[in-house]
Formats: sequence, structure tokens, C-alpha cells
Amino acid sequence: MSVSRRGLFAVLSGGDAQSATARAPLPSAPPGVVEIRISSNENPLGPGKAVVDAMMSRFGEVGRYPFNNLSANEGNLTAAIAAKQQVKPENVVLAVGSQELLRNAVRAFTSPYRHLVTAAPTFENCTKVARALKHPVVEAKVDSALKLDLESMLATVRGAGLVFVNNPNNPTATVHGIKTITDFVERVRRVSPDTVIFIDEAYHDYVTDPAYQTAIPLALSMPNVFVARTFSKAYGMAGMRVGYAIGQPDTIKPLERLRMPMTLSVFTVGAALVALADQKHIDDERARNTAVRDFTMKAFVDMGCKPTASQANFLFVDIGRPAQGFRDACALKGVIIGRDFPPFENSHARISIGTMAEMTKAVDVFRDILRPLAPSNAGKGRS
Amino acid sequence: MGAGAAGAWIAGRGLEGGLWPELAAMQATPGSAAASPIILSSNENPVGPGKVVLDAVKAAFGASGGPAGRYSNAAGALTDAIAKKFGVKPENVALGCGSTQLLRSSTHLFTGPTKALVATIPAYEECAGYADMMGHPVRAVPLGPDLKMDLDKLADASRGAGMVFYCNPNNPVSTYVGARATRDYISRVNRISPETTILIDEAYFDYVTDPDHATHVPMAVEDPRIIVARTFSKAYGMAGLRLGYAIGHVDTIKKMQDLDAATGNSSLNVIAMQAGIAAISQDPGFIAAERARNTAARDFTMKWFMDHGMKPADSQANFMFVNLGRPAKDFRDACAAKGIKVGRDFPPYEKTHCRISFGTMEEMQKAVVVFGEVLAKKTEAAA
Repeated sequence: MSVSRRGLFAVLSGGDAQSATARAPLPSAPPGVVEIRISSNENPLGPGKAVVDAMMSRFGEVGRYPFNNLSANEGNLTAAIAAKQQVKPENVVLAVGSQELLRNAVRAFTSPYRHLVTAAPTFENCTKVARALKHPVVEAKVDSALKLDLESMLATVRGAGLVFVNNPNNPTATVHGIKTITDFVERVRRVSPDTVIFIDEAYHDYVTDPAYQTAIPLALSMPNVFVARTFSKAYGMAGMRVGYAIGQPDTIKPLERLRMPMTLSVFTVGAALVALADQKHIDDERARNTAVRDFTMKAFVDMGCKPTASQANFLFVDIGRPAQGFRDACALKGVIIGRDFPPFENSHARISIGTMAEMTKAVDVFRDILRPLAPSNAGKGRS
Repeated sequence: MGAGAAGAWIAGRGLEGGLWPELAAMQATPGSAAASPIILSSNENPVGPGKVVLDAVKAAFGASGGPAGRYSNAAGALTDAIAKKFGVKPENVALGCGSTQLLRSSTHLFTGPTKALVATIPAYEECAGYADMMGHPVRAVPLGPDLKMDLDKLADASRGAGMVFYCNPNNPVSTYVGARATRDYISRVNRISPETTILIDEAYFDYVTDPDHATHVPMAVEDPRIIVARTFSKAYGMAGLRLGYAIGHVDTIKKMQDLDAATGNSSLNVIAMQAGIAAISQDPGFIAAERARNTAARDFTMKWFMDHGMKPADSQANFMFVNLGRPAKDFRDACAAKGIKVGRDFPPYEKTHCRISFGTMEEMQKAVVVFGEVLAKKTEAAA
């Protein structure tokens, strides 16, 4: 695999809708209206008391660089992740949120001559970075069930620098089982062995489909495959900025090289260490999310709107009208939902799963807004 | 200065990264006497950020810890608070994950294969290390005999350069160039090399006591070729939180923000941003008190070395660079064995000089006893 310096270091330009830039405030509810924020696929409960207590206990350590911290440095965190995932520390690269991995994977593995293969819609970060670098991008539209169309992606993979596989896929919420992913990876490796395959498992902890399993063992078993994880979803630490990638050492080396040094705060590392040690907390969070997801999906089905088979902490639902109008109407009632996701922005909305109390209120708002059009929409939804 | 020396200087970078053998040994034996050394190795504020920031951190966590679970939009408020403090516009301010991010983005933007990075040797290594990683040339300019920047040599080397890294006070040597001389240097470079960017790193600004002392923020705001970098890691006592900022001309700041768009503010954690707002908005008495505390510890420590026949450079920072007449490594290892951690090697002075950060007065009183033992022993052995 060749990494061109020009590709690595060409100047990036252009914005990223997902990063909160200083001058682009998030939408919010009108004054006096209680806000239900179900727009960013966060864990509505945060990281939990044990993690918050762990962070607060580290206040006395704030003055020191994290590398001077004997119990909460990056070495400790790498070791804890390795132990948790049953890999070696050299299989792990840390990142300041998985966004750093998305960006640096594009910088490292694509070039003007080695394209990015991705989906439409999927998490847009890789696409935006590749476009800013003027590296070619090939997008394969999701299939009729709004799953990643792996056959279409495979058809365009020859000579690609990077394939981005978001599983479960944001924003469509769908997942592929491990057999399908393994088959896809093996076929990519046969057709285009130098292509790097990036499997983003940000929503791993929310999946309940028994056919799904992590691709980490796959990544360890062969070169040019790596898996990314984040603490921003089930772990409830989106505000703390930490993620990681796992793969063979030679595969992830370019990600380590491009990594910005000293990015993880002492609170971030301290929190992640405690969070990793408590699998029950994550299992409970999955169960909580599943119950609220079932409730919300049923509510939409009852309204005549068809959601995809969600395996994540958000829904992608056919509301039979532009997301923008629906989103604005919801915001007026304090319910903040997801942005536009082309090419489905005229029919589908992405709605994150809040708490049961939040979703009970939210579906009342959805029902009020969708009711006037429900009969015709119901017909369209089934066609 | 030969390429070999510059190479050693750049290679020295990153050795603080939690991977030194003695630190690893301490980590391996938690609870041992060596587990709580006096850390005089990283130019931190030994007292930490104080109550105002603690209160802000508590508030940021909230009663439930929920905010840590949300993607944060605090970047706007932090940018506004910094702009207010300096009397500049928010458009003049770029945030970074430590000043590291800003040093990197400036180097990325303003150096190139034919546009060298110019810096003194030694200086803080981040810009030179990143330029070297990109394959951009680095011009290392030796210091004058008093370990101050030699502005004539620096100006000569600046001709045709992409960017000058002007660290003032200069880490690791602790010396400072007065505001008038700096202004003269800048106008000279603007005249002889009008395309060259000058990045003035004012990380240690708050510790300077020299009366010829002024920030170059007003100049940076007017001139697209001047950038000032600041950090919360030093006098503000927040090295563990990872927060810095740059102030410059609107056009320059826009370029830096565009470059960082994909990871930019998304690399900042919510707790750091809330702490930063509180820190920068608090009574300036906090910084004045921290400066006075440091000055007393500095005077005490400098006097001890001079009384013992050793010559420190004229420190205007929270650390000193002192000629011990022996390799830094021997001194460092001997001190570490007695629970005192001092600075790493700084080529080309690693055979003679050591960098020692100032802890609290109490810590320095203990430390000089150890320094006395270590230096006496060495002398006896040599005799």
C-alpha cells in the first residue's frame, strides 16, 4: 500500500456538518419549551454515576499533562482496551473521537488515484474529507431495505484506497450479519488486495440481531482491515471525545502516525477506564434502548410510517414528506430531531432514541404533526 | 547547525509521551514510594486551576453527568470569552486541542516542500517535528551565547521561509526576548521576506516578569502573517484538559479553521471548554497570584544553583535551563531514583544542561536537597 505525501498533506478545506463549529449553533427549542434532544444518536443518560464520580475524583490531576498521570494515561487506556477486546496493545490506536480515525483514514489511504468507496447515505465524514482533498469518491446507494448494498460497493472497489463500511449504518440504522461482512471482506481482498477496509462499529453495543458479531477477529486475521469503535454512543461520552481502532499493527500504523499527540484529557481517560470495566452498564443500556426503540418503532408503524429495521439507538423512518418541514415543526414543540440525509431528505427523518419518558412525549408530537397527512402517507408507505 | 543535530532535536520530541522507562517502572509498581514523585519535568502549574474552574467543571458535569454524554456546542461561548478577554472579534480566535493542534495547523498551512520551517535549536519541537513528518525542510538556528534567540541569525534564516516558530519565552531554555526587539524582528522579516508567516508561541507569557513585556496579539489581529498561540496548560493549570487557542487576522484564522474542519472543534471535550470559559473569564488576580507564586519559587531555585556555582539561563518562565556541566541523563536518572522528575534531553545541550520546571516552594525546597546530594555525589565520584 503506498501512501503519497501529497495525499497525506494536501490542504483540507470546506466544512463538516457534524463538527460543531464555533459559529454554527445547534438548533434548539423555543424559549420556555422543554427540549427533547433526539438529533445526534447520543446516550440520553450520559455515562452514568460511576464514570462521573471517576471524572470528578480526578480534579486534583487537571494541572498535569495526561502523560504524567500514573493511573490515567494513554498507555493505561490502550492496555485496558486491548484487554477488553482480547487483543495486544499494538493492535490498538486511540483517537480523539472516531472522527479523527475517519479523517486520517482518508488522508492515509486515499489519493487522487485511489478512490474512496462508501455508501449513500452513510456517515458523511469520510466523504467530506475525501472531497475536500479532491480525492475521488464512489458512493453506492443503499438497497431497497436501506441496508448497505455490499454488491454495489464490491463492483467499484478495484483499485480503491479505502472502503468505508458503517455497520450498523448511520443514518439508516440497518446492520449486516458477520457472515455477510466476512464474505464481503474476503471478496474485496481477492479483487483488490491493497484496498483498506474500514469497518465503523460505532453502534455495536446497541445491536440485538443475533446474526451480527463484531468484525474485530476478522481485522486481526488479515491485513488492510480495521474496526473503529467510539465511547460517544452506548458509553455516553460524546462530550469527552474518545474512540479507537483495532487492526493488525501494520494496517493501523498510518493512523497512529497521523494522530495528533496528547489529545485525550485526564477526565476522558479516567472516564473511559472506568466505563470499560463495567460491561453490565452497557448491557443495561442496550436493554433500555431496545425497549424504547420497540416502543417508538411501533408508534410509527401505528401512524402508518415505515421505519427501517433499526439495530441502533436511532430510527430512519419514511414519513412521506421532506425531513426539513417535519424537523422544523417538531423543533417548535421542543423536539429536536436529525438533519437531512440525502438522497432520502424528501421522505425520511432520522430520530434518535431518547429515554422512554422523552419518547412518550415525542411520539405525541410526531402524531400531531403527521396526523393531517396520515391517510395518504399510509398508502405511500406500503407501496 | 548540522543536519545531525537538527535530527536529534526533532527525534527528541515525544519522549514525554508517557513512555519513558522510569515512568513505566513507576506504573508497574503502584503504591511504591516512587509512585508519587515530585514532577518537575513538564512545565506545568503545580497548583492546578483553582476553585473557579472546579466549580465550572462540577456544573459542566451536571447533577446526572448527562452533559458528558452530549456532543457539545460550547465552542462558540468559549471563543466569545477569549475574544472578550483580548478585545478582539470572535473571528480572530481559533480553538485547539491544546496549542498542539494550532502549532500543527499553522505548520501544515504555511510550510511546504520549498517553504521551510524556521526555529531556534532548541525550541519546543512540535512544529519542527510535524514539518519533518511532512517532508518539509526545517532550518534550525543556534541560540546566542546567553541562550537567547539570536535575532540576526534568525532573520537571515527567515528569508524565503514558510513559517518561523518564535517561542517566547523559549522552551526549553526559558529566556525571553523583549517586546521591542520582537517588534523589530517582525518588521525586519516582513521587509526581507514578506511572504513568511511568524507564529509567536506565548505559552509562558503569564510567567514573564521582564518590564519590556507585551503580547503580540494586537499585531497579529492586524497582520495576516502573524499568529499568536496561547494555551491553558501553563499558568491556567489545565494541562490535563487539553485546550489552547490562536489569535490572528480573520483571514489566517479562517484558513486554520477550514483546515481543522473535520476534527477541529470536535476534538475539544465539553469539560475542557466549560473550564476554559470559567478560567479566561475569572478575575485576572488568579494569574497575577500564580505569577507571584512562580516568581518566588523561581528566585529561590535559581539562587540555589548560583550559590552552588552553576549558571542557569535568565528564566522568564516556570522552568529553568541550567548548566550542570554533566549529561542531563545522569542527573535525571539519579534524581528520579530519589523521587524527583526533571526534564528530558534537549539537544544540542543534552551533555551539559538540564531543564527543571518549578514546582511549589515546598517542592523546590525538597528538590534542592536532592539536587545537592546528586551533584555532590557525582563530583566525589569524578574526583
